[in-house]
Amino acid sequence: MACDRFRALLPLLADGALRQPRRFFVARHVAGCADCAARVEELQSVGTMLRTKLPFHRAPPGLAARIGAALPREAPPSVPRRWFPVQAFGGGLAGALAGVALTLMVVSAPRDAVVQGAIDSHVRSLMAEHLMDVATSDQHTVKPWLSARLDVSPPVRDLADLGFPLLGGRLDYVDGHKGAAVVYRHAKHIINLFAWAAEGRDTGFSETARQGFNVVSWRRDGIVYYAVSDLEADQLAAFARLVGGG
Amino acid sequence: MVRPHRTQGLAQDDRKRRFELLALPHLDAAFNLARWLTGNSADAEDVVQDAYLRAYRYFDSFHGGEFRVWLLGIVRNCFLDWIKENRSSRMLFQAEPAGETDETLWSERPRDPEALLLESIDSQTLEQLMLRLPLEYREVLLLREVEDLSYKEIAAITTTPTGTVMSRLSRARLALRKLWLGAHATEAVHGV
Repeated sequence: MACDRFRALLPLLADGALRQPRRFFVARHVAGCADCAARVEELQSVGTMLRTKLPFHRAPPGLAARIGAALPREAPPSVPRRWFPVQAFGGGLAGALAGVALTLMVVSAPRDAVVQGAIDSHVRSLMAEHLMDVATSDQHTVKPWLSARLDVSPPVRDLADLGFPLLGGRLDYVDGHKGAAVVYRHAKHIINLFAWAAEGRDTGFSETARQGFNVVSWRRDGIVYYAVSDLEADQLAAFARLVGGG
Repeated sequence: MVRPHRTQGLAQDDRKRRFELLALPHLDAAFNLARWLTGNSADAEDVVQDAYLRAYRYFDSFHGGEFRVWLLGIVRNCFLDWIKENRSSRMLFQAEPAGETDETLWSERPRDPEALLLESIDSQTLEQLMLRLPLEYREVLLLREVEDLSYKEIAAITTTPTGTVMSRLSRARLALRKLWLGAHATEAVHGV
């Protein structure tokens, strides 16, 4: 019976895994054979059923953060160390520089929990499909959308011509603060700019790096800003100055 | 001028950052697979966390290609280790049921043509049927239909020849169909 020659190939046809010219011959047989056609259809409907009805279990919130915390801080020794220029000066100078750095960080370090909260929100936004509530590069759409839902109205501008196109915005929580997240892109890097109302005088920009992300924060006109991205620190600092520079 | 607080530790952070950028976007896929294999969330979390740490340890051995495929292969290995450590042989990776071939599976024809309407199945029933399938069947179905991976990619994850993946996938679909026909028949008898 002709069907015998084709039976084993029916699943491949259903999966779209047959190449020409074999696909042509199998498809031609199926077109003229009700029995085989019914089998192909059934195989496909099993696939459709799984794709549309099978519950998808998303990772529970917090798992990403737990994994991040569990990853060892230090790279294994097999990894080439690229910071040899600093090392080359010898431990003494490196130590001295580190000391300076520590001082700088203590002076300007933003609140720890907030930085962590901002990074967590950033990672969450990238993992879930929930990057944007309002996805548009039109600043005149994003800004009113946010102001209608929040007690602050952070400036929203499209910086596409400066290399930071606006992608959209959404509402988010950072360490208990309800605020806006304005989403920008630079090359392939996503930047989340979190903003919420906070009394206090204007501050300068302070920079932190943690878990592989860079964070720049500042306060201006009663709004606190946290820009989070995996972008290089210098580029993120440049972005912060573009957005927050007045 | 040099910004020491950034330069220092950059090598460590750089590796970790590259890893997180590649790996974290696949956390849902990793968890979903582990959840379907272990059957519960708590164990799935352990398996996934273990897999991420292991992936990080062997990150240098990842040489391009689809990161998700590489990662899911590690999730699967961690799951197999988890079974060895935590479960009795009852849970061991069931081999394909002996004597189950495409033809014996197809031969089950429903009396009631409505039973073939797989679209009418609800999520809860489907979940129960999936959990009754042998693990080998369950995993190929997930990788093919949910993760939308090619035969070749599934072969890489399960360390199985591509031809075996094809036939196993085919039998897995038919076995699921058979379970559904059985469930449907029972429902009909009980007049649900």
